[in-house]
Amino acid sequence: MGGGTSIGRVRGLGSAHDGAHHWLKHRLTAISNLILMSWFIVSLLLLGDYSYESVTAWMSQPISAVAMMLLSVSLFWHAQMGLTVLIEDYIHNSGSKFGLLTLLNLAAVGGAVFAIFSVATLAFGANA
Amino acid sequence: MLVSILHRATGDGMALVGLGVFLWWLGALASGPEAYETFLWAATSPVGYVVMIGLTWAFFTHMMSGLRHFVLDIGAGYELDTNKMWSMLSPIIAAILTVSVWTYVLLRDGGLG
Repeated sequence: MGGGTSIGRVRGLGSAHDGAHHWLKHRLTAISNLILMSWFIVSLLLLGDYSYESVTAWMSQPISAVAMMLLSVSLFWHAQMGLTVLIEDYIHNSGSKFGLLTLLNLAAVGGAVFAIFSVATLAFGANA
Repeated sequence: MLVSILHRATGDGMALVGLGVFLWWLGALASGPEAYETFLWAATSPVGYVVMIGLTWAFFTHMMSGLRHFVLDIGAGYELDTNKMWSMLSPIIAAILTVSVWTYVLLRDGGLG
C-alpha cells in the first residue's frame, strides 16, 4: 500500500475474490457437522458405558469408524475456517497474520490426520 | 448482538479446547487401555466435568445460533419481533439441551466413569 499516488493508496484493498467460496464451504461443513455431531452425541448417550472395551468395540464397527473419520474432517475443516476469519478480523499485522494462518493450517491438517489415524488404528485392530 | 458474540466465542472456543479434548480422547483410545485410563481420570475430575459440561453448552449454543443463521441466510426471519424472539430463544434452548443431556448422563450412569 503506497502512500503516494491516489491509485497506490487503494490498490490491493478490494475483494479477496474467494469470499463466496469460503462462505459456502463454511455452511456446507456446518450441515455435515450438524448431521455427524447429532449422530455422535446420540451414539455416546446410547452407549452409556465409557470403559475402554465398550468404546473401542463401538468405534471399531465400520459405520462408526467411517462416521468418526468424516466427523474429524468436517470438524477440523469448519474450525479452520472459523479461526481463519477470527485471525483475519483481529490480526492486522501482515507478518503475524501470515504466520498464524500458516500455523492454523498445519494444525488443522495435522489434527484431522491424527484423528483419522487413531480411528483407523482401532478399526483395523492394530491394538487387539 | 450477544448471540453473534456467543456464536463466535463458542465456535472458536470449541475449535481450540474441544478439538484438543477430541484428539486426546481418540489418541488415548488408539494408544491403549492405560492411556485411556489417564484420559478418563482427567475427564471425571472436577475440572474435567467443568470442561465437558462447558463444551456441551458451547456446542448447543453454537448449534442453535448456527441454525438461526441458516434461517437468516435463506432470507427469512428479519422482522424485528421474529428476529428478537429467536435471538433470545436460541441460547435458552441451548441451555435447556445442555441441562437435559447432563441430567440424563448423571442420573442414569452417575457420570462418565
